[in-house]
Amino acid sequence: MKATSKTTNHKQVINSTSYSAVMTSLGSQGSSSSSSTEYVVRVPKNTNKKYSIMAFNAGDKVSCSTWTQARMERDMSNRRIYGEEETQEGAAGSEFGKKQREEARRKKYGIITKEFKVEDQPWILKVNGKAGRRFKGIKKGGVTENASYYIFTQSADGAFEAFPVHAWYNFTPQAKHRTLTAEEAEEEWGRRNKVVNHFSIMLQRRLREQERGGGDEDEEEGEKGAKKKKKGGRGGDLRIHDLEEDLEMSSDESDGSNGDGEDDEAKAKAKKEKGAKGKGKKKKKKGSDLEGFEDSDDGDFEGLEVDYMSDESSSEEEEPEKTKPNKGEDVPKGIDEMSESEEESEEETKNEEENKEEEEEEDGKKTPVQVEKKKKKDSSGESDSSEDSDIEGEAASALFMKKRTPPKRGGGRGSAGSSRTGSRPGTPSIDNAATSNTLRAAASKLEQGKRQTTVPSSETPAAKRLKMEPSPQSSSGKSTPQPASGKSTPSASDVLLTEDAVRRYLIRKPMTTKDLLKKFQTKRTGLSSEQTVNVLAQILKRLNPERKNINDKMHFYLTE
Amino acid sequence: MSDKGHDVDLTRAKQNTGVWLVKVPKYLSQQWAKASGRGEVGKLKIGKAQGKTVVSFNLNEELTVVDCSGEKISSVRSPREHPFTMQTVGGQTLAVFTESSDKIALEGMVVQRAECRPAVSESYMKLKKLQIEESTKPLRFSQRLEKAITTNYKPVSNHSHNLEYEKRKKEEGKRARADKQKVLEMLFSAFEKHQFYNIRDLVDITKQPVIYLKEILREIGVYNSRGPHKSTWELKPEYRHYQEGQEEEKEAAKME
Repeated sequence: MKATSKTTNHKQVINSTSYSAVMTSLGSQGSSSSSSTEYVVRVPKNTNKKYSIMAFNAGDKVSCSTWTQARMERDMSNRRIYGEEETQEGAAGSEFGKKQREEARRKKYGIITKEFKVEDQPWILKVNGKAGRRFKGIKKGGVTENASYYIFTQSADGAFEAFPVHAWYNFTPQAKHRTLTAEEAEEEWGRRNKVVNHFSIMLQRRLREQERGGGDEDEEEGEKGAKKKKKGGRGGDLRIHDLEEDLEMSSDESDGSNGDGEDDEAKAKAKKEKGAKGKGKKKKKKGSDLEGFEDSDDGDFEGLEVDYMSDESSSEEEEPEKTKPNKGEDVPKGIDEMSESEEESEEETKNEEENKEEEEEEDGKKTPVQVEKKKKKDSSGESDSSEDSDIEGEAASALFMKKRTPPKRGGGRGSAGSSRTGSRPGTPSIDNAATSNTLRAAASKLEQGKRQTTVPSSETPAAKRLKMEPSPQSSSGKSTPQPASGKSTPSASDVLLTEDAVRRYLIRKPMTTKDLLKKFQTKRTGLSSEQTVNVLAQILKRLNPERKNINDKMHFYLTE
Repeated sequence: MSDKGHDVDLTRAKQNTGVWLVKVPKYLSQQWAKASGRGEVGKLKIGKAQGKTVVSFNLNEELTVVDCSGEKISSVRSPREHPFTMQTVGGQTLAVFTESSDKIALEGMVVQRAECRPAVSESYMKLKKLQIEESTKPLRFSQRLEKAITTNYKPVSNHSHNLEYEKRKKEEGKRARADKQKVLEMLFSAFEKHQFYNIRDLVDITKQPVIYLKEILREIGVYNSRGPHKSTWELKPEYRHYQEGQEEEKEAAKME
């Protein structure tokens, strides 16, 4: 058998569908030993069609079957460069016999200008109309030099037809988003260490263009402004979008920012992909970033803890992981709903956040802080962030929520101070919840504690907090921001009903048996209610606390 | 010459037609070009051996004759057996499109890549040897002549080219001064076509002696000794319009 006697390497099995189709065709001469089928191969002579290859990169995920409409034309933009410049002939400005003289001159000096060949020009492919994708196909040289490529298609009668490939074009998708020019890119590269907020780079560029456009004719201004609004609306204008719109636009923009090639941008953008939040953020940014940029002279960064800035890159990996799950529940909420349901969601998310924080204990207590810091910076501009970064230990998702409300309030205002006050009240209860271990945090919390108005000093948040914390985390820096409820420190190991735990409680504050029971709820301790009662009774006997009657109720307390 | 945008015909693309892209050696494509009739060049055999698919191409007998440039009549024949090596398409999405004089159509997607290799045989080796010999020959080579060539550069009393020139000159004769009016007309019509003229070109156009022509030009034109159009004559501004209906205006201006 011819096939088996030769040595061949098979790298790939033939596409099984084509093979089975082949089996049913005519003209086959199967031989029993190797079950092969024979097909006639034809190389049609008369065809006036020139075959070419259109190559796409697999990563671009191009599927021709999804195309509804496509248009292809040659890219003639190089004609000016390569083709000879056609100066106007005849009449004014022309000399007699100029062309011949030019030609003679070129020959004399041996200047050879390359011909502009239409055949070699790149293709421009537009798929699915104006809103679809655009591709540029550049001819690949050297394809037909040493070997010829043929396209084998199966014709109706089962024979194969081979067509020679005339040219090979590599098609790459063209970006629709706006990118920086070379000079701008170099500028930004030089400033990359100073600029923290990379999102505003494109924003600034758009604004600059708008200004320039405004400097020109007045008529154009209106148009340009309108255009810019449409393009840059996502960045600049205060608009309330539908969620879907937002998702599209912000995803476009995330492409854009990725195009900038900044890692932190990309990751942070990924977080922002859930629409409305991004909008809110940007609104706020527009207002405050402009100042932020101007105000962020060297002095502003002095107060910051530099290690956070340098650690930004390392914290980023953690950021998306953290924020994504949080985002999951935050997406469907509208801006209005957000502000109303602040408290509820705060607690849920902050609890989640705390869990995560516990998990990442190693890196620290620093990373959540860093995360928040960075985000705060991003959102509220540099001058703000230098102060707001003091507010540490915030849940990331809560942060996103908070940003929404400040933009509404602080968006119109220009001064940093007012926006600061705008943002502060949103954060307090979160501060309480999450752990922060720096002294600064503690100090700021003390400050905040006095300003609080929104958070009710109820026991339930505190209780919840305490329950959710599985591991003992003694926060040295944690102060009691709510003087009213002394139980805010989540220091007790409330899982176990121990004498120490009870003692601690009683030292701090006089409590009734009921209160104590509440502290050691069955869910957390794993004991049944009867058992809890018994154990508690025993402990109390051992401790022998002093009794006091407050509000007609018997309270126990200890003094040490 | 320039292609206006063509709408791509996507009918075959939608059918998801799959094609094979096969790399074929140059000599084989040359043989295929010699195919006659309907263009049948050979047979493709697809089979299975030990679970793997084997594809092989068999060239038709009549196409194995190799044309070689040079004196040797082909004792060399190209091989007939060509197994195909199959390859994956991954990493690139390849589509095939065709251009004909009036339209562009998408023919399909490449589902399989293959390389056509000749089965190694004696005849193939000989063919290759021939090819290599041909390609190593330099394009230019020096050849020794036995006898020096003495037919060029013979001394001549007067070259034929010169003779022709003199004859021509005699026929033309000296340029006669024509009527001033006529000359002016000629000049104006010339300046309508181009703004700047070299004196030599004007002499050729008007066929006037140089001195006479220069006099006339001094009247109606100005000489640029500097500038982008150096050493050229152009009309004086009052005669210049370079719009429609120039001639009459120029005449009118001239009259004044």
